[in-house]
Amino acid sequence: MDAVLIIQSLISGIMMGMVYALLGVGFSLTWGVMHVINISHGAFGLLGAYMAYSLLQYFGVDPIVSAAVSVPLLFLVACGIYQLLIRPITRAQNVVMASMILTFGLAIILENVMAIIWKADPRVLTPTYSSGALILGPFYFQYPHVVGFGLSLAGITAIYLFLKKTYTGMAVRAAWQQPEAARLYGVNLYWISMITFALAVSTAGAGGICLALLNSFEPHSHNLWLINLFLVVIVGGVGNVIGTALAGLIIGVITGLSMAFLPFLWVNLVTFGLLMIFLIFRPHGIFKQEGI
Amino acid sequence: MLSVENITVCYGQMKALREVSLEVSTGQMVALIGANGSGKSTLINAISGLVPIAGGEITWEGQTLKGLTPDNICREGIIQVPEGRKLFPAMTVEENLIMGAYHPNVRKQAQESLQKVFSTFPRIADRRRQFAGSLSGGEQQMVALGRALMAKPRLLMLDEPSLGLSPKAAAEIFDIIRGLNKEGMTILLVSQEVMQTLAITTYGYVLENGVLALKDSCDRLLEDPKVKTSYLGL
Ligand SMILES: Nc1ncnc2c1ncn2[C@@H]1O[C@H](COP(=O)(O)OP(=O)(O)OP(=O)(O)O)[C@@H](O)[C@H]1O
Ligand SMILES: [Mg+2]
Repeated sequence: MDAVLIIQSLISGIMMGMVYALLGVGFSLTWGVMHVINISHGAFGLLGAYMAYSLLQYFGVDPIVSAAVSVPLLFLVACGIYQLLIRPITRAQNVVMASMILTFGLAIILENVMAIIWKADPRVLTPTYSSGALILGPFYFQYPHVVGFGLSLAGITAIYLFLKKTYTGMAVRAAWQQPEAARLYGVNLYWISMITFALAVSTAGAGGICLALLNSFEPHSHNLWLINLFLVVIVGGVGNVIGTALAGLIIGVITGLSMAFLPFLWVNLVTFGLLMIFLIFRPHGIFKQEGI
Repeated sequence: MLSVENITVCYGQMKALREVSLEVSTGQMVALIGANGSGKSTLINAISGLVPIAGGEITWEGQTLKGLTPDNICREGIIQVPEGRKLFPAMTVEENLIMGAYHPNVRKQAQESLQKVFSTFPRIADRRRQFAGSLSGGEQQMVALGRALMAKPRLLMLDEPSLGLSPKAAAEIFDIIRGLNKEGMTILLVSQEVMQTLAITTYGYVLENGVLALKDSCDRLLEDPKVKTSYLGL
């Protein structure tokens, strides 16, 4: 095998993995903190991607610039969805199950709305720099991939700093680890849940934009994204941000390598096979539960 | 300062507390004792707003606490160290303490309070970067106490602070609690260590199956035949 090709696909894998990591962190947080498994997480990512697509297509706004608008917008939308749909079901007996059913419905609605607005054809984000590439010696990286990677790295760093350095971020972790004690020390769980949910949805939007810089997408793409999210979160450990980020990288590398060396149809087989193996042997992930 | 009047608490069909009353006045240290399952934790959880009350009233400085959520009650300065400590296990010792000063009234003084807690508990100062979940039981109890002090309590409620500790560690914790009260802190102390508890408190309440069985000054409780046989094994 060709060493250049191996390293090339390894680095491409890391780039893609970072995007999965960004998408996965939010998915993991709502799961860990609120016991809400948000099946519509990928669909919100896709919504971010479509918003970037339209803003680029009709107004010529670069995806990075439009993200500065669409990500905060998604945050607000998510606050509304939390109040309207999620908050009522957190009183259910079995929040996990209720949340899965509810957000599954939400994902289908979003998918159909996107199919109506943007049609079922595959789309690609083609910013001005899309034909350019970063050439480093024998290696070759398309600019959109580099930008997607950079944006997701920035997103993950921002989430990490939020959770680690701000009072609200610490309250999110506290509410996940020990909700009763968090309440006793002044944390309003509803408020924190809303922030968590909105943060997750808006970072999903950012992740969706990054993913759209790497691959083409269509209204049902979120289903495939979702399976990858499950894989990332299960490998990384629910609620473990650093674990999730690392798991994203690992899965990116595995996907990258199998894309380079296996027939295309095999790629999903490898990732889903991996998901099964993990569920059987390491249902709590490969990292210790401690972390952030 | 705090007055609990005839409160009843139900878990579904079961009445965990029946018309229980209790008073704590400023600067006092009051004991709440009773066998397992008698409703001690339920009572202080009702004061903290964690469990709803079905009847009766809790007033704090003349104002009712009815309808207040735990975060609002915390803001009033009513702070609980919960049974089993309930630290944030995957956060560091320092982060656990900082979380104690979460509510906005005390947040600004967090760094100052942190230094004070570290000087009160030098042992945990050395472990400030360690995860709370990795500490020994005694050290965890110190973090739990420190976290409560970060909230600048006006009423400190301690639920079995010596649970699961060695006699030496328990004695250390009791010393600290007595010291806090000497400095003027108002304390409601729930404990199974009846002898040690009654030795440092001034007034005590005894719960039995959700009903208040006795209340008296601690000297007299120590002489009470019922307390002697049921709780002191004499
Ligand atoms: N969340 C709950 N749901 C249902 N029943 C509960 C709940 N919490 C406590 N109980 C019941 O209420 C009664 C009082 O419990 P509580 O925890 O207040 O007792 P306690 O005096 O603190 O006991 P211990 O000394 O063991 O801590 C017990 O019979 C207990 O089983
Ligand atoms: Mg108890």
